Amino acid sequence: MASTTASKSKTALGAVVAIALGIAVVAGVGVELHAHSYLNAPTETATINGTITAPDGKSYPHAFITDGLYADPIDSKAHGACATCDGGHPTWPSYGPFTHFVLPAHAYVTVTMHVYDGGEKLNSPYFANVVGTVGGTMNVDGKDVASLAPDGVQHTFTIHGLPTETQDPLFVNIPMPKTGDGGQDQAGSPLPKGHVVTFSFITGGKGNYVWNCEYPCGDTTYQGFGAVMGSQGYMSGKVTVL
Amino acid sequence: MAHHDDQDLLPTPGQRVGTFLKRKDVSQTFVLGIFFTAVFVVLGLWVYPHWMPNVMSKEMQGNEDIMIWFTVISAPIAGVVLAIAMESFINMHRGDTPPPEDGPGIKTHGPVVVIWSAVSVLFTIVAIVWGITEMNTWSSDALAGSNNALVVDVTGSQWNWSFNYPAQGITSHELNLPINQPVEFRVISADVNHSFWPVQLGVKVDANRLSTTIARTTPDKLGVFDVKCAELCGLNHAYMETAGHVESVADFNNWVSQAKATGGTQQ
Amino acid sequence: MTTLSHKPASARPIPNPERSLITRLNMGTGTVVGILFAVITYYLLRHHFGSPWRVNHGMDMTNTHFVNVTILCTMFAWSFGFLVGIGALIGPFRWLIGKDLTAEEQLYLAGDGQGIKRYFKYCTDHKVVGIQYLVGVMVMLGVGGTMAMMIRTNLATPGSHFIAPIIYNSLVGLHGITMIIAMIIVSTGPFGNYIMPIMIGAADMAFPRLNALSWWVLFTAIPVLCSAWFLGGIPTGWTAYAPLSDQAGPGMNAFLATIIIFALSTAVAGMNITTTVVAMRAKGMKWNRVPIFVVGATISVALAIPAFPTFMVAMIQTGLDRTISTGFYDANVGGSGWLYANLFWIMGHPEVYVILIPGVAALMEIAPVFVRKPLFSYGAAIAGFAGIAGLSVLVWAHHMYMSGWMPNLNGPFMITTEFISVPTGLLFLVLVGTLWRGKPWMKMPMLSVYAFIWDFLIGGITGIYLSDVPADNYLHGSMFVTAHFHYTLMGAALTGAIGALAFWFPKMTGRMLNDRGSYISFWLIQIGFNVLFLGMFMAGAAGQPRRVADYAQAFAHANLISTIGAYSVGLGMIVLLWAIIHSWRSGVIAPMNPWGSKTLEWTVPYPVPLVNFDEPPVVTSDPYNYGRSAK
Repeated sequence: MASTTASKSKTALGAVVAIALGIAVVAGVGVELHAHSYLNAPTETATINGTITAPDGKSYPHAFITDGLYADPIDSKAHGACATCDGGHPTWPSYGPFTHFVLPAHAYVTVTMHVYDGGEKLNSPYFANVVGTVGGTMNVDGKDVASLAPDGVQHTFTIHGLPTETQDPLFVNIPMPKTGDGGQDQAGSPLPKGHVVTFSFITGGKGNYVWNCEYPCGDTTYQGFGAVMGSQGYMSGKVTVL
Repeated sequence: MAHHDDQDLLPTPGQRVGTFLKRKDVSQTFVLGIFFTAVFVVLGLWVYPHWMPNVMSKEMQGNEDIMIWFTVISAPIAGVVLAIAMESFINMHRGDTPPPEDGPGIKTHGPVVVIWSAVSVLFTIVAIVWGITEMNTWSSDALAGSNNALVVDVTGSQWNWSFNYPAQGITSHELNLPINQPVEFRVISADVNHSFWPVQLGVKVDANRLSTTIARTTPDKLGVFDVKCAELCGLNHAYMETAGHVESVADFNNWVSQAKATGGTQQ
Repeated sequence: MTTLSHKPASARPIPNPERSLITRLNMGTGTVVGILFAVITYYLLRHHFGSPWRVNHGMDMTNTHFVNVTILCTMFAWSFGFLVGIGALIGPFRWLIGKDLTAEEQLYLAGDGQGIKRYFKYCTDHKVVGIQYLVGVMVMLGVGGTMAMMIRTNLATPGSHFIAPIIYNSLVGLHGITMIIAMIIVSTGPFGNYIMPIMIGAADMAFPRLNALSWWVLFTAIPVLCSAWFLGGIPTGWTAYAPLSDQAGPGMNAFLATIIIFALSTAVAGMNITTTVVAMRAKGMKWNRVPIFVVGATISVALAIPAFPTFMVAMIQTGLDRTISTGFYDANVGGSGWLYANLFWIMGHPEVYVILIPGVAALMEIAPVFVRKPLFSYGAAIAGFAGIAGLSVLVWAHHMYMSGWMPNLNGPFMITTEFISVPTGLLFLVLVGTLWRGKPWMKMPMLSVYAFIWDFLIGGITGIYLSDVPADNYLHGSMFVTAHFHYTLMGAALTGAIGALAFWFPKMTGRMLNDRGSYISFWLIQIGFNVLFLGMFMAGAAGQPRRVADYAQAFAHANLISTIGAYSVGLGMIVLLWAIIHSWRSGVIAPMNPWGSKTLEWTVPYPVPLVNFDEPPVVTSDPYNYGRSAK
């Protein structure tokens, strides 16, 4: 009944093979999940164009970002700005085409957003204020504003991150003004005319941050923060400062 | 190692304690007990303070003290249990055949059960009294400070904190506090459950929809602290953190006037 | 209803296996009918509500409530359909027409002479159900464990680089619920079913058909739970706190359905075990001669019976909120998240003792055998289990100290919670008292006793900090809590279950569990486990919140240590799995009583006869009368 050396090594080989197989299965699951992470996160790297002197007197490289905000995929397709309209949800609003922004460190970043959605009331009125920009204002269709009425917001663009020793803090909140009634925009979309929102902020050192919308556009969910708000690629993303 | 004739677990009145302690298993257990007790004492006195962050309030100090001293108080219990287990482990019978003879047929020992239970109850009462006393201290401190407490309305919303100072008329995304000033956090949520946790200040309270909850403390050390969310609230729960600062009264007032200058919102 | 007779097997007529409906039904037919019911339900509802995935141009948003109704009903239809298809409902259907299963049909269902096929059918033999539970538990542990490896890999470094936060959150919640369900049934399922009836000298359980039902109902919940991944995952932890659960996407419905189905399975199993132990003990097995594992399993399920229905109710209310907007947990319409928290924890706290007690009781069964000494103070063991079970229904709001629900009740709940350490201490006394002055035979089951003592000691002491209200201000919602409950649920309950498996493996499979494989896995698991969760205590004490995909740099060190420990645990579990499968297939054939134990299950041969005993045994003493001067 005692096992022979031959069967002992056969057992050992079987064990090694089985264990390797087990590890392979787990690793395979990992690879699959990793591939599904950060899907639909088209990335925009800021283009640097010259330098600019900030109100603090210092001179910074001037970086530029452009993106859009659409009521649904029909709208974003009409503007040629798909982030999620292929394979994404058929009725959800979305920022697009980019949801991941790469910015240079210690730079003066100017962001231009073309925004086209309607809106209602924020859950937390704090986010109707412009926070963290140069001068504390944003420019809406040529006019500087420091805040909106809490029920005049369509979405927000809110950058924040973990306070940690290895990176500088970065907090920016931009309430996007909702579109009004009437009119058609240039691309022939049936939706009302949009706005152009421009704002600037100064980045610190290298760091990883996130951004998300603070407006409840997840219709028919509790407090409007489910559905589109709780999915990746529409109303949230990353900001990487390199 | 063969055991000698059956002896009681505790020395009978005729036996000297020395004989008991000289028995090999007892002396091994005793030494192991000292060792394990020491490990837990060191864990309590040195490791926890080393791991835990900056103490910036009385409440946080109280929390750290509990971690330290409950560990130290539990040390002898841990010592006894682990010592007996370890002594048993190192005197094992190895091999594929069972042991040749049984151990002593001890079914129970009344005095040991009674003493063990009594010591358990005693430790429990110590822990309860400590906890209740601490809670009472916090309550009376809060009561004493409530008249001139700085009120901060804390709103948790998916996935950021905002702080409103009604008396100062400003709102901000960072929590700045003046030193040695009792503060009353009135916490509420704009949506799902969050948990307001200013880590180094040693207090925590959940943020619920439409029900305000209160946490009170008095920061007593200058410096930076973290405000974290301690209740999973969806997609960006991990990023629902912000910084807080305990600063001098003058710095705090400066910060308030700067915020007022930009329309009542900290930039 | 016919009862199984105790005639020797050879004298009983073997039922003529004519091809009838009952003989044709199995897991395959169950799956087919289940899928059929699900598909029909789905298309009926879709026809009524419109497609959940309807493309509707412009402003028309898809109504999430309709999606939830469709998905929930489809899942319940699958479960019900499966039970119809496997023949679980033939009995009740016959009752409707005034009949029952015939004696031949019941004997057929017992699976005699059907070989390996009976494991895939609605088989009422408790031994078959026990093996089914064992395999089911192993599958769940594998799935849950894989998720744990994903979680720890993501946390190895800050930045959530491996997995996006949205997927990470789902991993955390689904890992939690998968493991909780697995831990609830890990000892009572395999051993409570296979071993317990033999241990008390019975021929089967009190309700054999309900026994099969409890397993197959649980089985239907497994695909339902896994479907959460394909429906977008869940944003909540395993506690499914409201109102986040109200807000959650379609994947949450999978969670709700799983719990409702699982609660049904547990209720049925609990009734069965309790009735069996109360009513079917062998002659002479008075209450003071019942093996401690039986006592522990019974107390555990008796505790589960009042507890799990509140979880079911909490989930039903969440389901109603998500479908017809009842607003139980929606403060905007007068509801409250605290209602959910109370309902949940009224279940949640007794539930952790439901998990713990069978594991400890199994180790208390093991220790006397390997130390060759009586169980120290059987009375204290009973008092310990009973005290824990009794107190556990009075402590639930210690999970809500920081919720703001009722701060004035924090003090009373702290008192009841602290007192649980007294009966818990008795459990330690019983174990170390059994070890004292013994010379233990060091085999795998005995190793688990030592691991338990270390793990549960740490789990218990850290529980004392958490039960202290002021300290909980710091610790609640941090990784410290996570480390504490892994020490108790995994370090104590899972260690106990692994020891129990090594102990009863010879009786359940006829072979010995491979020694070298189990020792290697034991050390990989235990050392890895301690590295993993001691590292986690470090992170929690430093202030890392729980359930976070990313964390500040200050916690990087502790997290990396934890992840390394996790890999060791993972490797150890794979080695253990290999050892189990290898031994099951080609391990050393086991003698009838390899350990020299004195409980009844070791008096029957393997394969265990259908009715366990040729003649009902008569018991004359408790099973722990070892010792040179035993009374």
